[in-house]
Amino acid sequence: MPKQKILIDCDPGHDDAVAILFAARHMDLVGVTTVHGNNTLENTTRNGLAVLELGGIDVPLAAGCAEPLAQPSVGVAPMHGKGGLDGADIAPPLRRPVAEHAVDFIIAMAEKHREELILATIGPETNIAMAIKREPRLRQWVREITVMGGSTTTGNYTPAAEFNIAGDVEAAWTVFESGIPIRMVGLNVTRRTGFDQGDIDRMRASGRRVAGVIADLMQFYLGRQRVGYGLDIAPMHDVCAIVPYVDDSLLQYRHTSARIELTGTHTRGMTVCDLRHPKGSAEPSLRNRSDPNALVAVEVRSRALIDRVIDTILDYA
Amino acid sequence: MKPKLLIDCDPGHDDAVAILYAARHFDLLGITTIFGNQTVDLTTRNALRVLALAGLATPVARGFDRPLVGEAPLAPDTHGASGLDGVELPEPAAAPIDLHAVQFIIDTASRHRGELTVAIIGAHTNLAVALRLEPRLAQWLRAITIMGGTAGVGNLRPQACVNILSDPEAAHIVFGSGIPIRWVGYETTRTVLMREGDIARLRAGGRVARAVADIAVYYRERQRAVYGIDGAPMHDSCAIVPLVRPGLVRYEAVPVAIELASPLTRGMTVVDRRPLQSGAALRSIEPRRAPNADMAIAVDVQGLIDELVDTMLAYDRPA
Repeated sequence: MPKQKILIDCDPGHDDAVAILFAARHMDLVGVTTVHGNNTLENTTRNGLAVLELGGIDVPLAAGCAEPLAQPSVGVAPMHGKGGLDGADIAPPLRRPVAEHAVDFIIAMAEKHREELILATIGPETNIAMAIKREPRLRQWVREITVMGGSTTTGNYTPAAEFNIAGDVEAAWTVFESGIPIRMVGLNVTRRTGFDQGDIDRMRASGRRVAGVIADLMQFYLGRQRVGYGLDIAPMHDVCAIVPYVDDSLLQYRHTSARIELTGTHTRGMTVCDLRHPKGSAEPSLRNRSDPNALVAVEVRSRALIDRVIDTILDYA
Repeated sequence: MKPKLLIDCDPGHDDAVAILYAARHFDLLGITTIFGNQTVDLTTRNALRVLALAGLATPVARGFDRPLVGEAPLAPDTHGASGLDGVELPEPAAAPIDLHAVQFIIDTASRHRGELTVAIIGAHTNLAVALRLEPRLAQWLRAITIMGGTAGVGNLRPQACVNILSDPEAAHIVFGSGIPIRWVGYETTRTVLMREGDIARLRAGGRVARAVADIAVYYRERQRAVYGIDGAPMHDSCAIVPLVRPGLVRYEAVPVAIELASPLTRGMTVVDRRPLQSGAALRSIEPRRAPNADMAIAVDVQGLIDELVDTMLAYDRPA
């Protein structure tokens, strides 16, 4: 069976790095685009190139938007360090991004692989929103958009909002209202799916180069999660948006409405998901419902998912 | 000595059970009514009929028929045209007292300063206006216990619930009042279900217990039809039973804010459940506000249901 085609729009980012390495192994990764988010565009672009070099992944990388559409920047994410991918000794990349802007690159790839391309967005969705506005036919060309963002329960940036959505709320709204099928995995699932100390030790003990670098990165990231959130795992948010295409038993979804809140005092950036009925928001007895637009992740087999990811990391030289 | 309680409510099937429970375990000083499950005329009548069923002479004071701002969103789809469909109740044995609910709350709190708990199991309009009318009320009340809102899935809206949705501005006033608040949300109460076995136990009891069996049967059918929930949720009792049976519910102190501004999330109880570590410098993350409510996070479901059923069965036994 031919591998599914995927383009990853990201802001590396520790968990973005793992998502890229995972996708490159199991799918047909046609390209990577970068966006502001976990850190400045300059740093996320450099980090993205460094990850591709680390993994010997020969795909083009296009840099995208440096700021959100219509709001002030929310600032860099504290979990990833000053450079956005702190914790390991990674040489500055020799590769350069392609000359094309990420928005044009996304459109070109979607057209080239019409109805076959999965667009993964695991940072703020600025590039995707711009691409949709620039090229309305994207709605027909893109097979599915898989989103790491939001939550069906608690946020992180604010009590109600998750960092990627909060990073560009209008962009997220554009994507979620676009009519393109959405697959969303939020903090309710990803916050409990991560590497523990035992996983990090296992990757380090392998003696393999890529696994060793990832172990260093994850040790740093785990330390930040402990200090900031009291967690004893390093959550691998982003790879949760990729794994369903490789093993569909790892995550459970509900087909329902997921709407982006734009104007709430306490809720701006929230993903409002309708989980009131087992049949989702199509259930006619529900009041104030809206049409289903997304598969929303509600359950995960965390240990099995992480083990699958570790196996993939260990597969690299 | 039994603790002093005033219940502000909109009977309502689960309100009815909560009233019957409270009358046995508390010094129930009064009931105030509000619009919500139905119009205030109907909820007032239902409160009086429930009291007549149990032979109780608790004073009932009628409250507001609409929220502070906007129209009254009613919830007849789970409570029926009368607001308490599916059960035969006697006619009221008394009329509501002459005093408006707001004045009754203020007077009762003043007469029992530091001792009165108010249970709010409908919209918050009465207490909000009372707080504004009498600035000392916040010091006079011992505590407020609230059933409403949700820290997860909602009912009338995906992530908001009828009691807060009915009057978000009033809820904002109550949650910001500084009075100690004990709060149980819909995401928890929708799991506290009376099921077939519980209903069978009630059916073997006396007049009150059998009426509660009818209440549970009707309410369960409506919950199945509208929400796919397989049982009769005892939402309101979850705010009242733990006051006298503290082992049944566990609480956590949380910051809660009421969303007023957006059409999509208006009426939401926004709870901060992020596990932020105190003292950790997380730049660009919104800091945690001070807690203003004790939120129910775990319930001994069968324990609470058994407690309700036992109380209903005790009604028709000699004291």
